[in-house]
Amino acid sequence: MDAIVTTGLTRRFGDFTAVEEVNLSVAPGQFYGFLGPNGAGKSTTIKMLTGLLAPTAGSMQILGLDLSTHLVEVKRQIGVVPEGMALFGRLTGSEFLNFAGRMYGLDRDTAAHRTAELLDFMELSAQPKTLVTDYSHGMQKKLAMAAAVIHGPKVLFLDEPFEGVDAVASGTLKAMLQRMIARGVTIFLTSHVLEIVERLCSHVGIINKGRLVAQGSLDELRSGVTAGSAIAHEGKMTLEEFFLQTVGGPRNATQELSWLG
Amino acid sequence: MISPSVSTGQLRAVVVLRLRLLVNSLRSVRHRLNLVSRALGALLVLGAGVGGGFALAMVAWEITKSGKLEWLAIIFWALFFFWQLFPIMASAFNENLDASGLLRFPLSYGTYFLVRLLYGALDIATALGLSWSLGILIGIISADVRLSLWAALSIALFTMFNVLLGRAIFVWIEHWLSTRRSREIMGVVFFLVVIGFQLVGPLLGRYGDHTSRLRVHVPAILLWVQQKLPPGLTSAALAGASQQRYAGAALSLMLVGAFSAAAFWLLHLRLRDQYRGENVSEGEKRRTRIATSAVNRGWGLPGIRGPLAAIYEKEIRYFSRSGPLLFTLIMPLVVVLVVWGGRRGILTHQAGFALPVGAAYCLLLLTNIVYNSFGADGGGIQFFLTSPVSFRKVAGAKNLAQLTVLTLDIFILWVGIRVVYQPPGFAVIALTFAWYLFAVPLNLAVGNLLSVYSPKRIDYATFGRQRPAESTIILSLLVQMGSIGVGALCIFISRLYSNLWIATLTLLGLAVPALAGYFILLSRLDRIVMQRREVLATELCKA
Repeated sequence: MDAIVTTGLTRRFGDFTAVEEVNLSVAPGQFYGFLGPNGAGKSTTIKMLTGLLAPTAGSMQILGLDLSTHLVEVKRQIGVVPEGMALFGRLTGSEFLNFAGRMYGLDRDTAAHRTAELLDFMELSAQPKTLVTDYSHGMQKKLAMAAAVIHGPKVLFLDEPFEGVDAVASGTLKAMLQRMIARGVTIFLTSHVLEIVERLCSHVGIINKGRLVAQGSLDELRSGVTAGSAIAHEGKMTLEEFFLQTVGGPRNATQELSWLG
Repeated sequence: MISPSVSTGQLRAVVVLRLRLLVNSLRSVRHRLNLVSRALGALLVLGAGVGGGFALAMVAWEITKSGKLEWLAIIFWALFFFWQLFPIMASAFNENLDASGLLRFPLSYGTYFLVRLLYGALDIATALGLSWSLGILIGIISADVRLSLWAALSIALFTMFNVLLGRAIFVWIEHWLSTRRSREIMGVVFFLVVIGFQLVGPLLGRYGDHTSRLRVHVPAILLWVQQKLPPGLTSAALAGASQQRYAGAALSLMLVGAFSAAAFWLLHLRLRDQYRGENVSEGEKRRTRIATSAVNRGWGLPGIRGPLAAIYEKEIRYFSRSGPLLFTLIMPLVVVLVVWGGRRGILTHQAGFALPVGAAYCLLLLTNIVYNSFGADGGGIQFFLTSPVSFRKVAGAKNLAQLTVLTLDIFILWVGIRVVYQPPGFAVIALTFAWYLFAVPLNLAVGNLLSVYSPKRIDYATFGRQRPAESTIILSLLVQMGSIGVGALCIFISRLYSNLWIATLTLLGLAVPALAGYFILLSRLDRIVMQRREVLATELCKA
């Protein structure tokens, strides 16, 4: 049983189709990177997978549970860091984590214990009385990540988790994610930074203009043969080369903007 | 390098930008409804502008005809106070574009100054101020056409002074409020000033006999001071011109000009720093002290467990860090004192009804919280949406926290009434309780619905710009007027029969459907939220 399965997942906004007939399959324990250029449909897909957005058509299953009928059960087993980080600005970091733990059903002692551990691990315990709204962007990202894992989710959804995060904070987050993968957690991560995906993920899906154009393991992608895509190339490619060939490389800017000098 | 040159092309681009923002905001039904509310507001402003202008024209005409032009100072002072205080008191009316964001473009200082001055001055206070000034001008000229030039010059200078000073005050306050901590401090100061003003009348009424010496000296000092300030100087200039003392009149006008120059300079100081790239950090200075990782356990509340207790605790923590909420806690007491007003107070002979009247006022105070209950959560709404807790529980816990605040409000009110008047009788307490059983579920039910249908992000840390959506305001007013009206009607009928218990029993009877409606709506809230989740997330996650 796959951890995440979507069948014909579609989302339209009026006349515009943001996500069209996407069929994803992510096995348990996979670190799955969901790539795509800006506006390709990454965030829309992750919003649908986490219950923030209703699909126009298609079905989604998380850990074998259909999202349309078992939304609350699914939510209990997943952790989410959405685009807006979903923080409560006027709580302190520890108050927020404590609150998050109890929202996921932890008892007061367990929530307090895990809060303390997470604050230490994320190096957020130095300012116990600072409100979240006064945290730096990187600190907020770490806090959002901590809140997403406090209940020990089986599947973790991360929407651009490293955006705006410095190298030190990024290292902390990566270490935690790798530890979770080692323990069998499935991670679904969207990013437009190819280096991060190449370094962390075992499997990759590429979405372009709302359609899933490639999906497979990193090795499959580098060799140019994946589900939905077959690119002729001698030897192994880098992920960037594969990505650019799949979604289309940059247009010749100098031809169109000759006045740039 | 600061260049004073002005680019008309850039000014035109800013005007087009503002129009585009308005047009684009009409894409959703909710914003169209808000525009209708704004249009109604604009009609009111138009009425106030024309009506007020006409009234002031009559007053100015009368004063000019009587030849006592010094008395014009009274209307100039009224105009001045309105012009300067209204934008601060009603900052919620202005949702202007943050013009400082334009600095990323190659604007000359002159253009930037003009944009901040003119664009910022497009508000209700300026519109009304200009209409009323025009009214005064017409009144003076109609009464004495020989004063046309002097009146036009004086009022033009006075108008310029008001516009410049108003903008200067606004940008300086904006500067002081640019960090959360200073916003909170200013909020409390503002709040204390408001309360202070409201208490002046009752205290004078109460202790009036002991201030006879002050009564002699204070007006004389105030009169002398007002003559040296722009409203007094403007009227002095007009009085001088009417008595053909032109040198004195010119000197008064020059002084008004000097005050305008000072306001210009104050405005320039602030805008120049902004133009030069002033950076006000929102974040606090990071403390370096080492803290322990000891974390307090969440609240354990009798009868409330798990997520319900967690949300309740979160809400109470939010309230406790909210300046505006402090306002709701103290205002009932202030109102008791203000309405009491010593021996001449309104309620002195109707003290028995202080509790129900105060209770209705307490409920009104919670409008922003009850009718936009997710507004302060901001991006946190996504947490609620992705968590396994039903919105029935989320809204229920929020309502519970709101009830806690209301109970605290009522308790403070009860203490105030007990101290100022006398302990409310049992029949009045029962009546108030019965009205609450009817009005509170009704308000909470509609409040929950509007919180989902018409959410608007708000910040508990600030006093200004904290209104719900316009459509919410209108509907919430209707519900509140309805619930207060029903209560008043019940009391009126019961007084006809000289038996207050008739009202109590009627209200208890009405409470049954209100409570049933509340719980039915709560049970259906999850379905409604699922339908509205995109709007909720989009509106509340806006930066």
